Amino acid sequence: MMPGPLDSDEELLLRIRSGDEEAFLGVYRRRQGAIYRFVLHMSGSATVAEDITQEVFLALLRSECGYDPDRGTLSGYLFGIARKLVLRQVERGRVDVPLETDSEDVALPELAVIHDPLGDLTHRERLEALRRAVTTLPRRYREVVVLCDLEEVDYAEAAVALNCPIGTVRSRLHRARALLLEKLNRERSANPVKELKPARILI
Amino acid sequence: MSCQEFWKRLSKPPGEESNLDPEHRAHLAGCPACSAHMARQRELAAGLKLVAEHFSELRAPARVEGRLVRAFRAQNSIAAPMGRGRSMVAAGWAAAAVLLLAVAMLLSGSRQPAPLRAAGPAVAELATDQEMAAADADGFIPLPNAERLEPNDDVNMVRMEVPRSTIEELGITVSADRGTDRVEADVLLGSDGLARAVRFLD
Repeated sequence: MMPGPLDSDEELLLRIRSGDEEAFLGVYRRRQGAIYRFVLHMSGSATVAEDITQEVFLALLRSECGYDPDRGTLSGYLFGIARKLVLRQVERGRVDVPLETDSEDVALPELAVIHDPLGDLTHRERLEALRRAVTTLPRRYREVVVLCDLEEVDYAEAAVALNCPIGTVRSRLHRARALLLEKLNRERSANPVKELKPARILI
Repeated sequence: MSCQEFWKRLSKPPGEESNLDPEHRAHLAGCPACSAHMARQRELAAGLKLVAEHFSELRAPARVEGRLVRAFRAQNSIAAPMGRGRSMVAAGWAAAAVLLLAVAMLLSGSRQPAPLRAAGPAVAELATDQEMAAADADGFIPLPNAERLEPNDDVNMVRMEVPRSTIEELGITVSADRGTDRVEADVLLGSDGLARAVRFLD
């Protein structure tokens, strides 16, 4: 039976343990997007994001997967595994590269909606600048911004994923946002948006 | 309320002013510095929200789901009625295959299955003549109770490390004092994700 939106992760996990493939697919389809995006933002590599997403869900199949509902949500647990795997990749030097925007398999979405080309250009540049700023944050700040600001994970869940107290999540987030503002201000000072003047039309 | 208290008690990202409690609003009204900082924070929060929206449809490629389904089926199909000893061997191989499908992907950084290598001369150093006779030209030994691979079957190969004692379960002689050593092996997985054959590397 295909799981519905009201089936909790915990119910689905029980069904997975008894060999229910639909339940496994249900959990995967519900959670994979956030995990994939988290790893993509953290690693800057679509290949690493794909591999780690797969590994995270394979972990659910292992009998000793170690998920304990008393310690937090399944989502926080999955983010936690993904984070550990990203850190492992960092140690091996496979990540911490700029986002592969040229790569065919990254398929990053376009950052502009074209109606007012001039306005959209500025808008897109700002979003690109912000995305760049996020990817260049030190890892401990980047992970908290990606989780709490981009994936809208609540602080308690982020604390489980990051294996730290909620207060630490808050303070890191506060610091991360300050760093982002600093980076954006620096970028703005370096590349000021030129003020546009109306063109004089000569007939 | 001091400026420090203002920011300390602001637990959520700064949203609309109407979402602030009266104390926070009163502080903002009387503090130009916090008011300016709040405006920058709001601009940042709005920008992050837009970035999040633009990424929100991004998902792992469909092939990941396919691989996971194969791994899931591999794990669950092993529970077929077999003798206890043999089922444990098969279950062990299947679990290892599930684990290694991911590990191999992580280590290689490649999405394509590794190409089959030509058999090296040192393959299956521990195998006896009889076991080697069962191995194919590439040095792969069929696993007990596994379906035979046909020449045109679609296969994936994963490389793994297994304890030497695992090899013994396949009927290959291992010296007792080296049972805990680990040995590299290539495992052939059928299109259903089930482990079919193995070869040991030196």
